Amino acid sequence: LAAAAEPPVPEDLLPDVLPALEKLEAALRALEVAIPPETLLWNGVEGSDSEDAS
Amino acid sequence: VTIAEIGAALRGKKISVRELTEEALQRIAEANPRLNAFLTVTETAARTRATFLDGELARGIDHGPLHGIPIAHKDNIFTRGVRTTGGSKIFADFIPDYDATIVRQLNDAGANVIGKTGLHEFAYGITSNNPHFGAIRNPWDPERVPGGSSGGSAAAVAAGLVPLATGSDTGGSIRIPASFCGVVGLKPTYERVSRTGVMPLGLTLDHAGLLAGTMRDVASAFSLIAKHSSGYVPAPRADHRVISLGGMRIGVPENFFVERIAPEVMLSFRAAVQTAAALGAHVTEIRLPDGEALNVVGRIAQLSEVSALLARYLDRRDEIGRDILVLVEQGRLIPAIDYLNAQRVRTVLARDFSKIWQHLDCLMTPATPMTAPKIGETSVAIGSFNEDVRTAATRLTRPFNVLGWPALSLPCGFSNAGMPIGLQLVAPPQQEDSLLQAGAALEDAFGIAGRRPPLFDR
Repeated sequence: LAAAAEPPVPEDLLPDVLPALEKLEAALRALEVAIPPETLLWNGVEGSDSEDAS
Repeated sequence: VTIAEIGAALRGKKISVRELTEEALQRIAEANPRLNAFLTVTETAARTRATFLDGELARGIDHGPLHGIPIAHKDNIFTRGVRTTGGSKIFADFIPDYDATIVRQLNDAGANVIGKTGLHEFAYGITSNNPHFGAIRNPWDPERVPGGSSGGSAAAVAAGLVPLATGSDTGGSIRIPASFCGVVGLKPTYERVSRTGVMPLGLTLDHAGLLAGTMRDVASAFSLIAKHSSGYVPAPRADHRVISLGGMRIGVPENFFVERIAPEVMLSFRAAVQTAAALGAHVTEIRLPDGEALNVVGRIAQLSEVSALLARYLDRRDEIGRDILVLVEQGRLIPAIDYLNAQRVRTVLARDFSKIWQHLDCLMTPATPMTAPKIGETSVAIGSFNEDVRTAATRLTRPFNVLGWPALSLPCGFSNAGMPIGLQLVAPPQQEDSLLQAGAALEDAFGIAGRRPPLFDR
């Protein structure tokens, strides 16, 4: 993925980019298996007003 | 000196807005070479406006508690006609043609903008060690970071250069520098304060907020910028009445938020809990759902959202700091599926965490697990555990960006090295009034509000 990205991720950054990202994505894997199928995207807090969030 | 005290002096004609402005400009001229808190000082505009505001007071036009008060804005907040860099070399010469809503609101309330404060590049980091504009320094120890990303705002308030400054908070960027610099920092409920004109970073995580020397100063300014404001301001300290916390149900986590905390921070936190109980609060220990899961979800969301905004600048890599490049590259490699599932996990977690408010009015945690690290330190040892400084500093704050709940940091003690320790208070959505009331009561009881760093105490 890093090589195929446009532009590619520079090689000198890879040691800082990949290990931490792989660890983070592994942690997400463990969480996403338990999501009920009907779950929607987070949509703000109750009573929030997003009129000018742009 | 609080905003209310300055206001009383102005209205009692003991000082003019112009004199107040000159004093602030003088303090900045003396302190900024040591702190690097300000990127831009708007001397001419501040003097012109001071004369105008003096004239208004003379004609009986009084805009309220902020009339004539010198304030500063974080330099990722648009100020019409004044450069707004976002801490980035790419925006070094960017001059907005309109004011952010929060700037306009504070201007309408009579505030006098005296300058723009420095920050971590793109507001994307917690050290404020900026490769383009230099490191911002902590007034309590200039060898240490002020925290970030609103490091300039926190340093300016802590050193007494301004009583109030604005900030933004995507993973802790108001509360972390407030904790490290010994000031009050409020991140309101998600969308409670307008983000229009605040450079976006994490689209579902960004919050605009305030930093000030005292709870009452934050409260008086918050009432002016909040949508659906109740206008609540705690009773003046001069009343010498103790604000009771009687009846307030305060939860103290027994997991996650009290794990891997530096011993000195933990001692101050436990003392703060005892103080709350002594003020009449009903304090209960509570086991919370998975706090680490909130951080995983928050980091995935932030990496993706920030890269969506910043990847377009990768053709100018030589103008971007290495720490930012690493984060932007990480965000580019996160598949859309992961981002979407992180936002779905967030929905589940928000539902689970919200159940605590059936039994509580407020949550107390340490604001940061440690005091301010030295400039250049990349890891911090807490007990036998070695942790990345960025991960450690955001560990206790990021969860409340993910949940969108209002949260603040206020000073609750000092380490043996003399560095401030921050207490975090959290309330249900839209319940900033409870948060401000609890904070004011605790601040009165702690008795350390407004204490100045020795280097800047005069």
